[in-house]
Amino acid sequence: MSVTAAFREGLRRVNGAPALLAGTFALTLMVSLPLAYALHGMIAEHLGASLAADAAASGTNPAWWREFLAQATGLGTTFIPSIVGFGAVLNNLSDFMDRTRPAATIIGVTAAWLVVWSFLTGGIIDRLARARRTRSQGFFSACGLHFWRLLRLGIIALIAYGILFTYLHAWIFDDVYGALTRNVTVERTAFGIRLAGYAIFGALLCLCNIIFDYARIRLIVEDRRSAIGALLAGGRFVLRHAMQVLGLYALNALAFLVLVTLYALVVPGAPRSGFAMGAVLALGELYILGRHYLKLLFYASQTVFFQGALAHAAYTAAPVPVWPDSPAAEMIANADPTGEL
Amino acid sequence: MFGRFAVMVALLLLGDGAMTSTPQPPAREAAASPQAAAPRSPRNASYAITARLDPGSRTITGDEILTWRNTSNAATSTLRFHLYFNAWRNSESTWLRERRLSGRLSEEPRISDWGWIDVTTIRVIGTDSAAGDLTKRMRFVARDDGNTADRTVMEVPLDRAVAPGETINVQIAWSSRVPRPFARTGVIGNYYFLGQWFPKIGVLENDGWNCHQFHATTEFFADFGVYDVRLTVPRGWIVGATGSERDRRDEADGTTTHHYYEEDVHDFAWTTSPDFVERRATFEHSTLPPVQLRLLLQKEHTRQADRHFEAARAALKYYGEWFGAYPYGHLTIVDPVWQSNTDGMEYPTLITAGTSWLMPDRAEDPEDVTVHEAGHQFWYGIVATNEFEDAWMDEGINTFATARVMQEQFAPIYMVRWYFGGFLPWVFRDFPRSREVEGDRLTTYRLGAKGDTPSTPSWRYWPGTAGSITYDKTALWMHTLERMLGWETVRRILSTYFTRFAFKHPKPQDFFDIANEVSGQDLTWFFDQVYRSSNVFDYGVDSLQSVSESFEGFGDKPSSGGTPRVELRQVSYHTRVVVRRYGEGIFPVDVRVVFEDKEEARWHWDGKDRWTMFQVDKPVRAAYAEVDPDHVLLLDVRQTNNSTTLAPQADRAARKWSLAWLIWLQDQLLTFGFFV
Repeated sequence: MSVTAAFREGLRRVNGAPALLAGTFALTLMVSLPLAYALHGMIAEHLGASLAADAAASGTNPAWWREFLAQATGLGTTFIPSIVGFGAVLNNLSDFMDRTRPAATIIGVTAAWLVVWSFLTGGIIDRLARARRTRSQGFFSACGLHFWRLLRLGIIALIAYGILFTYLHAWIFDDVYGALTRNVTVERTAFGIRLAGYAIFGALLCLCNIIFDYARIRLIVEDRRSAIGALLAGGRFVLRHAMQVLGLYALNALAFLVLVTLYALVVPGAPRSGFAMGAVLALGELYILGRHYLKLLFYASQTVFFQGALAHAAYTAAPVPVWPDSPAAEMIANADPTGEL
Repeated sequence: MFGRFAVMVALLLLGDGAMTSTPQPPAREAAASPQAAAPRSPRNASYAITARLDPGSRTITGDEILTWRNTSNAATSTLRFHLYFNAWRNSESTWLRERRLSGRLSEEPRISDWGWIDVTTIRVIGTDSAAGDLTKRMRFVARDDGNTADRTVMEVPLDRAVAPGETINVQIAWSSRVPRPFARTGVIGNYYFLGQWFPKIGVLENDGWNCHQFHATTEFFADFGVYDVRLTVPRGWIVGATGSERDRRDEADGTTTHHYYEEDVHDFAWTTSPDFVERRATFEHSTLPPVQLRLLLQKEHTRQADRHFEAARAALKYYGEWFGAYPYGHLTIVDPVWQSNTDGMEYPTLITAGTSWLMPDRAEDPEDVTVHEAGHQFWYGIVATNEFEDAWMDEGINTFATARVMQEQFAPIYMVRWYFGGFLPWVFRDFPRSREVEGDRLTTYRLGAKGDTPSTPSWRYWPGTAGSITYDKTALWMHTLERMLGWETVRRILSTYFTRFAFKHPKPQDFFDIANEVSGQDLTWFFDQVYRSSNVFDYGVDSLQSVSESFEGFGDKPSSGGTPRVELRQVSYHTRVVVRRYGEGIFPVDVRVVFEDKEEARWHWDGKDRWTMFQVDKPVRAAYAEVDPDHVLLLDVRQTNNSTTLAPQADRAARKWSLAWLIWLQDQLLTFGFFV
């Protein structure tokens, strides 16, 4: 199966699973809302009955904002001007690549979100792999079935990413970058070196990410129980289909860049009031919805590609599926006898 | 070395004895200069310097002839010199100790970073060589902190005391290793910026030497003089320096000697690099003298050349119109290389700016830094206050003036944030820079408001908050003064101060006296609050009530005859506002209540008590109340509590901003979603 075919099929499968999109979007929203509510309380308390609230409600009030930040602690310290408009995206991507430590509250909620998302991953990939409705019972059965396996894989991933972010990042951006730029006097040169650092780190990060992506897919699609076994199998798969796998990843990454660029172009900045405020906030949520869509597209297109590349998919005798049998078994059962799948 | 020889011969030919009461310019050009006949300054510390830079070894070998006149009313039997480069001689220098305290020392110096200055000979010219040679008497003194590891001040006992009004010529030879730029001066790559680079005499005051050690948070203080300097650098390297270049000579060894000269300045700095791009422009004005502008720019910033020139012109225009004319006729702007730590610095007729390769339009820099440093030509260069002790007098006043120029000339300017290692900018057009908050730096003042009392000698400020007190607090109280007295009065205060103390060393009381005189008010109470205390100001509205008190029944009919009673129905609102002084600082403020019909009631409160209450009866309900409604007191650290409305919008604002923040948080989660 070609990369573009997998991508197109991935699009089709995500489009065919609107409940997945709505559900994941709702999950992120639900995890975030309590913190937003807490911040709402902090802002409201600081503004009190002040006239400063009028300016803050109808536009931006930088003077008040700076005063708020001067006294803010904990969650309040994350309410920085960078959250406005496209700044929010830049801020998050930059912090991610520069390993800026988030506030403790944010770390906590992120960890919780990642665990819940990991739980759902089993159901999401299962649903996308089957390319048919599994209903909530099937969805959550798959979630439960795969959760502990995925958790074990997640712990391995945590160690791998931890090494990358703790040691490799420090080595590239503190040691090597520091040494290479210590006597550099031209900013462009230093930036070039930093970009090279991002490229190297990013490449290794993506490679690691790809292996774990396919490990996750094999774990679920092939109903594997061993996380290590799935990881090794994922690695083998990536190795054997390196160019296509990278191509598909690049295509998905490109889709992400397109979304980010579109958002940068259309987002007007800070919300004002009335309809304009609603439009800006809606645009932001639309962008978040887009990010969820692309996240599912990553899963879907990689799953499709894996399924399409299964060596035995087309010619193994189809067993009678006993639901919930693995998607691989189901796929084999439904395999096209012509072998053109 | 020819230059040194020539200078010595010239001095001897002029009959310059070792001890003479006749002021003597250091070089031939001084005698020929038409301006020499009418010196603007006392010129009591003049230097003829020859120096050679060897980039291979990062060393400067130089010697100087100092012509120094005792302008104090007491004789001195010692001389004291600043040897600033020794701040980076060892890890226990006072500068490095204080830098660590401030938390601004990013890493400990490496072995290749250190720099130093060694005086190899020092002698009084004109006496016999044995008696005049003071080399063996040199000693280091650390009167500020007793730090014996600090070698930034050298003292030399003399054979004979120098009487008031008497002049002495001293020859000093030295060698130095140029440090990596820790702050303001040093070398990185092929870029040399050399400030505080030669042995420099302190200032002798009536009560003794004012010659502080080099401190991490304060700058410098020196007497005015004539600088006649010959700098030898590799051929092809571009040189920028204090003053103007008189001549240039190629040497046989592949070097070039650049000859710079300036009168009535109190320091000399220079820069050299083979990589500068040079641009020139002129400042012209209908009532101010023209100024030749020279910009030494980095290649990657060439598209920003005009921004530097426009900023320099703005400073010369507004400062010139507001305070007084810039007299030197030339100004060199140096655009430093990346990570040089030499940006944003001022020297007589030479400043460093600072920008970034991708600096967006409508960002704060390079305009702000250029205006600020060009502005220092007035507040530091011409009005030469003691930056060791009264740093606010140049930095604070100049920050105030810079913010004013920026608003006049460059508004709107927007907040910029830098991402991905600090290389990629993003402009936030919803956050325009305000003169009060960003220009006068309320944000940083707020964080260090109680750090120190400004009347404390600046070098003794807590290093972590010295900037807040020096720059921010002064700018804020100067702007507060502007709102109290009006700009025209403050402008006249500053122009009078400038005129009276140009080429002098004024003290804080000189400024306060002029402020009282020009304003026609005794402002002692104000300076007591903002200068002689570390009190923080915070006034706020505690509560606002506007309660209807209806009156119903029958009253007498006002006109005579007819029915004796008439039905009455009157509704009035009793409005009561309580204002409080939460901070220690005292400042008279207005209190205003605005009613629903837009009418207002206003009271003046002396602000001394901890709280007070104002009441008024009106037929309409109050809408909101404000303390200091005209925002006069810019030092108020909590301005959100300055008002209270009966129709609060906090919930609406909080909902909007928490929802905007929600998008950021969702995006953050999805970014971390990369891992799953």
